[in-house]
Amino acid sequence: MTSESKARIAIAGGGLLGRLLAWRLSRRELDITLFEAGDLSLPAGACWAAAGMISPLSELVQGEKEIYTLGLESLKLWVGWSKQLEKQTGRTVEFRQAGSVLVAHGKDRSELAQFLRDLHAKLGDLEKDQVQSLDAGALGALEPALERFEQGLFLRGEADINNHRLLPLLLSALRQQGVALRERTKVRCEQNRICFTEGEEQFDCVIDCRGLGAKDGIEGLRGVRGEVMVVESREVVLQRPVRLLHPRYSLYAVPRSDGRTVIGATEIESEDMSPISVRSSMELSSALFSLNPAFAEARIVETRVHCRPATLDNRPLIHNAQGQIRVNGLYRHGYLLAPAMVQQVEEIVTEQLLQVV
Amino acid sequence: MSVSDPLALYGREFNSRLLVGTALYPSPAIMRESVRASASEIITLSLRRQNPAQQRDNVFWDYVRETGCQLLPNTAGCKSPREAVELAKMSREIFHTEWLKLEVIGDDYNLQPDPFGLVEAARELVNLGFKVLPYCTDDLVLCRKLLDVGCEVLMPWGAPIGTGQGLLNKYNLHMLRERLPGVPLIIDAGIGAPSQAAEALEAGFDAVLLNTAIARARDPVGMAGAFKLAIESGRAAFNAGLMLKRQTASPSTPTLDMPFWQQGEPLPQG
Repeated sequence: MTSESKARIAIAGGGLLGRLLAWRLSRRELDITLFEAGDLSLPAGACWAAAGMISPLSELVQGEKEIYTLGLESLKLWVGWSKQLEKQTGRTVEFRQAGSVLVAHGKDRSELAQFLRDLHAKLGDLEKDQVQSLDAGALGALEPALERFEQGLFLRGEADINNHRLLPLLLSALRQQGVALRERTKVRCEQNRICFTEGEEQFDCVIDCRGLGAKDGIEGLRGVRGEVMVVESREVVLQRPVRLLHPRYSLYAVPRSDGRTVIGATEIESEDMSPISVRSSMELSSALFSLNPAFAEARIVETRVHCRPATLDNRPLIHNAQGQIRVNGLYRHGYLLAPAMVQQVEEIVTEQLLQVV
Repeated sequence: MSVSDPLALYGREFNSRLLVGTALYPSPAIMRESVRASASEIITLSLRRQNPAQQRDNVFWDYVRETGCQLLPNTAGCKSPREAVELAKMSREIFHTEWLKLEVIGDDYNLQPDPFGLVEAARELVNLGFKVLPYCTDDLVLCRKLLDVGCEVLMPWGAPIGTGQGLLNKYNLHMLRERLPGVPLIIDAGIGAPSQAAEALEAGFDAVLLNTAIARARDPVGMAGAFKLAIESGRAAFNAGLMLKRQTASPSTPTLDMPFWQQGEPLPQG
């Protein structure tokens, strides 16, 4: 590479990670190409099916401290990045930091206690003020639609982002920034090379963000099935993401500005992309109904199924080799982890390019 | 643990008296480490919701197989004998084993076994050559019927699945043990603490099967080790012979300051 020509970067995979990374890198003096096997205007991966929750505390209870730490970093980055993106495109991404609410039915009350206990055990006393116990009155004031619950928890710092606005906005930002977009192009990632069926192309650095598409290169990468329903209701309006705790199926419900609510719950150890099962749709519906019976008249406008790319320890991974970087395994934490991961990759790219010079 | 005291099930001998499930762990890696720490040789797994007909390679299943344990596929979530039998056939094909934890659920909320459907499914599966380990309630008559249709091992619940309540109906459970000597009895479900598992082994039950108490612990690997020790301890205590409980405290040395005519009286209760 010479100082006159820009370094050439290839990013494989046009999901959340690939788009976000391309957008960040395109703000620098780099020549960027984004490869996507499918259609960029119709994202097919887990990023499109997801509800876009950014909830470090809720995930900490089920996972590792590392997820929480990365999640807090991402949360800070989202605040700034969503503003930048809105400024650049002139449209809103609907990043909302209004906290999230946890409730459980009377019979499952111990789930709330267990959640609190696990949270305190993992965090110590430091950040207890992030969690507020709610009685019926406080809960009703915060979320009038949850009036039938006697108690709940309020996780003040949590956020969510409307992925169905974010992903198209990132795409138009990439167009504005002059990123070369190569859709419907299936590729293989190698050191300093992107290989197609009919040939190959050289790059200073290749970054593989393909999720499950990168299965051949990452041992133990697996897909964990998730099923999501989108309902539309005029009667019930939630103000923020709500989680219903239950010993077996916990439900999340994330309200959107257009009166729709994205609900999901399932985690199935299976790389199965077939449509949502009757059982799952019943479980989701009845859990939603139990939040507020007026949901019974909501309309099911969409169901989505996706497989989240996960490693065997369910932690995200970054493989750093000269000329080839792999990022993967964001599992069910795509929106929670992506900015922090992107920032780490940016640093690695900088180091690698300095070494080439 | 001494190999001279093996757990014999369907003609196979096992050193460990702890059977564990593979669900609900924070990650597959932690699941496998926990299985190792538990020293279990039999592990259960479920394929009810995984669309088994559609896939032959599943990274998670491969990972479970690599533990080297005897796999015990279950029919979790099945509500009718028909469903359970069909799923059992699929499991046998996928995991190459006749071993089966038979679940036929009668109540969806506390996952209570349906005793009628259970006997019907067990009869059919035994005829099909399965080695059936039925998850049942602690009812003596039900247990006898399961033995009658050919089950060689029974797995009565301690308490409903996932409740962590321990041995809830001790009267029934102790009677089962007493009335069915020689039948391997595995306490399945409801165990929340190592002390409860030890209690089951002390009472003469042959083994314990559990999942939630380990998988949902803050440190699943640590909890797996704790259960291993408790179960070994409970079994050793059973073999060594527990002392009988007495109605009064009996000091092992004579209490010299107490007149002899009072020494036979109950001590005043504080």
